Amino acid sequence: MRYVVGYSANARGRDAVNLAIALARRQNASLDLVMVVPETSPYNVVHPPAAGYQSIVTDQAQLWLAEALALIPADVPAQTHVRKGESEASVLIAAAEELAAGLLVIGAGSRGLFKRFTIGPVASTLLHAATVPVALAPQGYDRTDPITRLTCGVGLRAGAEDVLDVAAAAAGRRKLPLRLVSLVALDGGGAPGGAKGPREHADERLAAAVKGRVFHGVPVELAVAQGRSIEDAVDHLAWEDGEVLLIGSSRLARDNALFLGSTANRILRSLPVPMIVVPRSYKSVGQGRQSIQSEEVNQ
Amino acid sequence: MSAEAVRSVSSEKGVSEDGRGEKGSGGKGLSGKGLKAGSVGLIGAVVIGVSCIAPAYTLTAALGPTVAEVGVHLPAIFLVGFIPMLLVALGYRELNNAMPDAGTSFTWASRAFGPWIGWMGGWGLISATIIVLSNLAAVAVDFFYLMLAQLTGNSGLADLSANLPLNIATTLVFIALACWISYRGMETTKTFQYVLVAFQLLVLGWFAVAAFSHVANGTAFDATAITPDWFNPFAVGSFTAFAAGVSLSIFIYWGWDVTLTMNEETKNPEKTPGRAATVTVVVIVVIYMTVALATLAFAGVGETGLGAGNPDNQASIFAVLAGPVMGPFAILMSLAILSSSAASLQSTFVSPARTLLSMGHYRALPKKFGRISPVHKSPSYATIASAVAAAAFYIITRTVSENALWDTITALGMMICFYYGITALACVWYFRAEAFRGIRAFLFKFLAPLVGGVVLLVMFVKTAYDSMDPAYGSGSNVGGLGLVFILGMGVLLLGVVLMFIMYKVQPAFFKGQVLAKSSQVFDPDV
Repeated sequence: MRYVVGYSANARGRDAVNLAIALARRQNASLDLVMVVPETSPYNVVHPPAAGYQSIVTDQAQLWLAEALALIPADVPAQTHVRKGESEASVLIAAAEELAAGLLVIGAGSRGLFKRFTIGPVASTLLHAATVPVALAPQGYDRTDPITRLTCGVGLRAGAEDVLDVAAAAAGRRKLPLRLVSLVALDGGGAPGGAKGPREHADERLAAAVKGRVFHGVPVELAVAQGRSIEDAVDHLAWEDGEVLLIGSSRLARDNALFLGSTANRILRSLPVPMIVVPRSYKSVGQGRQSIQSEEVNQ
Repeated sequence: MSAEAVRSVSSEKGVSEDGRGEKGSGGKGLSGKGLKAGSVGLIGAVVIGVSCIAPAYTLTAALGPTVAEVGVHLPAIFLVGFIPMLLVALGYRELNNAMPDAGTSFTWASRAFGPWIGWMGGWGLISATIIVLSNLAAVAVDFFYLMLAQLTGNSGLADLSANLPLNIATTLVFIALACWISYRGMETTKTFQYVLVAFQLLVLGWFAVAAFSHVANGTAFDATAITPDWFNPFAVGSFTAFAAGVSLSIFIYWGWDVTLTMNEETKNPEKTPGRAATVTVVVIVVIYMTVALATLAFAGVGETGLGAGNPDNQASIFAVLAGPVMGPFAILMSLAILSSSAASLQSTFVSPARTLLSMGHYRALPKKFGRISPVHKSPSYATIASAVAAAAFYIITRTVSENALWDTITALGMMICFYYGITALACVWYFRAEAFRGIRAFLFKFLAPLVGGVVLLVMFVKTAYDSMDPAYGSGSNVGGLGLVFILGMGVLLLGVVLMFIMYKVQPAFFKGQVLAKSSQVFDPDV
């Protein structure tokens, strides 16, 4: 399995590399560090005309990638790529498809003072268009030990099983402990007049999620987190340091594409651990994806 | 878990093949282009050329100062001014093909003449672009307030531009915004360029038609009959006026050379650049001639009222004339000039930033100038340094000069003559071994750049000498020395001082250890 890392030579890029190492060590994956250099449009008139500027940028990118590569421990296979393109997000998506990557890892953002996650423009675009799962490293993520547990958010609506399949497959592959959680916001929730409370709904949902599903002998834990809001509920959950949250894409997404829904967005803002968002109807690598196009281009 | 580490640093094909130029690089890694190949057709290339010249901005900034020098012979000077630009641009194209490099004039002059002249060539280019940045921002601000006044019908708003602290503050805001956009690596799109160019040409055409119809209806300010004498450059009173006029008209064609240097981004690299350059210059000359003739025919060169010879009108001629000529539609002129100068302001930022980046890269400047933003992949330090320099230049000019726009344009013309002159002679010297191998090489690598370079350097020296006169240009002076001289020479002298400081701090570049002067004469056949 290959993971594409959208690298940039700053703290955010290092967060992404750290997370990628942690995930790759657990899942025995190899890393492809991709750096995108902007492609200059001829309509962006530059005078006096200066050819060759792009190669300075490309050389710099190669240098940055070489530095990043030096930080990756020897037990994680890695290679680097410089790609040109107008939009960083679309180049990363194209690279992930072309390399048949199972995951696209990026640093989520950096400027949030009080919130753990603030999403940069590239991450935001990826979260609304990627065709492979996207892993977001929180700011300052410095763990490179293998991840210790996978938590899968179990959603309310139809189609939420897709992410469970992915979680079961991912956990099963390397016997990674799995936790299924259902988040409940009590605020304004719950049907009036003696109907079942939101808590019972959540329990039922979890029971339904586990029922009839094969977990390949992985220990599965069920948890319901409740709070005044989704953010509060996330805060009430206990998280391991080496934990990663897996959640599904919004039902607004096209098939095989991501769209970060509003709940996921709110989870993201208060989450202390990395999060992986899975595209709608996504099948893990090895489960028969069809869009794998080509081999590595560079010889 | 026995994964053996597999490591490689590789790059995708498109990048690595572009990465290194093969020709004339002497092993020092002058490198290839990175523009989108084959996406620009003839019309696109012409649009790029016209947009780069920014005719609406150029005319409002340069028409007045040129009339001040040559009076009714404006059309003649506009025509003559193209010749040295053409000659130098031909040499520029040869250098650009042989040594594509982001440092352009800096790199080429270093290779041809060694680090010291190379450094000054780079400095000249940076100074010219910094000066034009401050002028662009100032023109944009003038028309910004004028447009506010036209929009609200409150003519008092236009006078805000004359309020010194407010004017400086607004100009700094414009510079900061353009710097920010450039730093973020945001780009002008194709559609935007098409609209911008079409709109400028339309409004300038409208202005000319309106002016001529005033003349025909007898409602012109000072209807002046066009005579063939206006087209005769030899009728210009003195060589001083002629030199000043030519160095100003170099400025009005500055940008045209971009069409000649487009290659692989065009659909037909063999033919498109040449055709585009021809069409562009025809379009530009037609629009310049029409507008120049219309202005002179409508307003005359008298020194009172709306006359083009009135010093009060010369800093920004359309700010004064658009209202009387176009009536309520003058707001379109404001919009055209505001949009063209603001767009140029943003795109011009890229240029000094890249030259500074390149000079930092080759250790001709402190290393930090070579920094690239890890997020936006744009020159970070160099872009901000350019903005600071443009802002400082504007503050100084504005506070010292009675007519900052006028004086900066004159100083700019001088600076362009300086660095284009050096660049053209660098071409002659670099290709000297080939100069007499065939008619094409002789014309493009030797004769054209030689004549162009010599003409421009003569214009530079003459203008510099004349501008010592306190009455030169707008008549601003400091201690009896003309302000244009102080601006131009001050900037060059500052360059010399910085160059020696750099020599003390980082001598490697000046010893030719980074960017070597070509050890042997460039010879493609060897």
